[in-house]
Amino acid sequence: MATPKAMRQPASLRFGSAAFLTLWCLIAAFPLFWILVMSFKSPADAFDANPLAVIFGPRTIAAGKGLSVIDLVLGLAVLWYAVRFAFTRLPQMVRAFTAPGLVILGWLVGCLGYAVVFIVLFFGLLPVVLDALNAIAGPLGQPVIGLTAEHYRAVWVGNEFYRNFINSLIVTGGVVTVSLTVGTLAGYGLARSGSNLAFWLLIAALIFRALPHSVLVAGYLPVFINSAEILRPILGDAAPTLYGQPLAVIAVLVAINQPFTIWMLRSFFQSIPVELDEAARVDGCTHLQAFRRVIMPVMWPGVITTGLFSFLLGYNDFLVTSLLLDAQNQTMVPAIAGYFNRETTTTDQAEAIAAAVSITAPLFLLVMVFQRQIVSGLTAGAVKG
Amino acid sequence: MAKIELRNVAKRWGNFVGVDKFDLTIADREFLVLLGPSGCGKTTTMRMIAGLEDATEGEIVIGDRVVNDLDPKDRDVAMVFQSYGLYPNLNVYENIRFPLRVRKVPQAEHDERVRRASAMVELDDFLHRKPAELSGGQRQRVALARAIVRRPAVFLMDEPLSNLDAKLRVSTRAQIKNLSHELKVTTVYVTHDQIEAMTLADRVVVMKKGVIQQVGTPTEIYDNPANTFVASFIGSPAMNLMDGTLQGGVFQGNNVRIEGLPGAGEEVTLGFRAEDASVAGPGETPQITSKLYTIELLGDAVMLTVRAGGSLVSVKAPKDFRAEIGDEVAFHVPPGICHLYDRRSGERTGARHPPSGDGPPPASDAERIATTPTGPM
Repeated sequence: MATPKAMRQPASLRFGSAAFLTLWCLIAAFPLFWILVMSFKSPADAFDANPLAVIFGPRTIAAGKGLSVIDLVLGLAVLWYAVRFAFTRLPQMVRAFTAPGLVILGWLVGCLGYAVVFIVLFFGLLPVVLDALNAIAGPLGQPVIGLTAEHYRAVWVGNEFYRNFINSLIVTGGVVTVSLTVGTLAGYGLARSGSNLAFWLLIAALIFRALPHSVLVAGYLPVFINSAEILRPILGDAAPTLYGQPLAVIAVLVAINQPFTIWMLRSFFQSIPVELDEAARVDGCTHLQAFRRVIMPVMWPGVITTGLFSFLLGYNDFLVTSLLLDAQNQTMVPAIAGYFNRETTTTDQAEAIAAAVSITAPLFLLVMVFQRQIVSGLTAGAVKG
Repeated sequence: MAKIELRNVAKRWGNFVGVDKFDLTIADREFLVLLGPSGCGKTTTMRMIAGLEDATEGEIVIGDRVVNDLDPKDRDVAMVFQSYGLYPNLNVYENIRFPLRVRKVPQAEHDERVRRASAMVELDDFLHRKPAELSGGQRQRVALARAIVRRPAVFLMDEPLSNLDAKLRVSTRAQIKNLSHELKVTTVYVTHDQIEAMTLADRVVVMKKGVIQQVGTPTEIYDNPANTFVASFIGSPAMNLMDGTLQGGVFQGNNVRIEGLPGAGEEVTLGFRAEDASVAGPGETPQITSKLYTIELLGDAVMLTVRAGGSLVSVKAPKDFRAEIGDEVAFHVPPGICHLYDRRSGERTGARHPPSGDGPPPASDAERIATTPTGPM
């Protein structure tokens, strides 16, 4: 692509900016890279003073856990093709095999099938093949880099981290669903209304947004702890104690998040011309039909972008979940903090690191799947007719 | 197929009057144009007919139903918007088909009707495209097709041509004229462009600040403007308006003296059209004599402008006429082409001119009448 002359930069500037960007990427990406490396090493290697020992893990190899050159090459190749397949062939297949009305179902089945096939191939078939290859390959079959999944096994199986994962799913799923449902309806109404009340509602939402989260938590906590007594006159003995319930945490997180989603969705709705509503209504839609059939299809980038932000809030929240949930019902983020609260050994720390890597993976997946909608949502150019 | 009655319709927002005492009957199959400068209430009037705006007062009747309390979808109208209002996520075919789907027209008819509508506006090659991949003119034709696919009782068009460039505007205008001739549906068309109004309308309603100034056929409005506002709004160039006094049948103002007019002793505004007057030939007594302010070559004619009666006055001359700015020129303005208005109220005081004009009509006048569309009204 030819750059116009006015935009062309001198070599020194280009070199300087490239160097700065590289440095900046290294600084930003280093912690992620480092915890990824550490999480696969035995504790002795992971906390070694020598960085090279952390990367190559001699003691992990000595314990019999390592990858040979063949393992690395074949493993990376399989991963590469799996990702390629997921982004090129999988959408084609889903499109080819699903009826027009069942696209979402088709995607669900497609993704599930893909995940099952991937797990069987990568964790079931591949190790067997590699073992056989390593046995006959001689020096190429010798392990060169230490890699052990023991911490992940300890976290997910030993410490029952999947319970925290399920709690996180409930909390974030609930937060996203409620705040998007209320947010789209409220955002649409506020965007299309010119009344003074709408303006003051938005200002009130802004004030709530500005409150520190701990204010809300301090307000909710005593009520949640005593909720059984408070609710007894109404619900009798069935009155629940809300403290420690993931569903109750959803309410608090929605209260924190809702002002933001309303503001964000409102600005997306405002970028959709009013003529679309009016054209739909003259063409034969009721108010609600116009919203559902004309406005919402144009709004998807905005809904997905806003949904991602509420997802991140629910998923990454520490303060609310750690204070309002007890140890049995914790979500993932406070659970990781829990690893450091015991008499911490290096093994605990390595497990905490493995757990930290575990909670990062879904975020990567999410952003990669929705990146196109997120980009068009953030630039907000996709909604102009 | 329906007539529309607007009975004393008004629209107010607090103290602001958008439309006031709008009383009009639009005949079945009539092409009515609401014309006026921006902010005159013409779009508000149309939106009240469509149901997108509530009338503060008065009754709106479409066919034989009072529709004041009906939703837009129940009024059986179709509307074309200035900024198209196309659904960006649907392709052209689905855009045109949308009204059929929403109104539960039997599936079997959809394809045929969509294709007939798209053929009428020559969109057959673009059916699979998204609106974003179309030019402005094509988008407006999609909007037209979406309006005609359903055969509504009334078409409403809100400045459909004003987002198009000049050349497209002319061709799309011709297309709209042809469509309305073919479909014979009652149409209300809003515009601020008087040429669109003159070329398309059966009848024109000229509005100013929410109040109707004049209702009539394009010829009627052009030949007999009811007041100085209409006179200065219609025609290109607009009618020349000069201030002066009328005494004993003689109009006198700065640089101008016209004899043989009716009425006396009044402060009046006198108007005449540039093409009705002419450069005074040898032997004719000139009514306006002044220094030439500017000369503009139009191709088919030359426009001469001088200062007279307190304003700039233009007269069309033959295309080979040449003069320099500052030269003395003399114009022949016979009393037969003059319109008289009360200076304070702006209302017409003189007699109405019959369509052919009294006295010997200038050559250009006969030509103009031949090309001006005449409606059935």
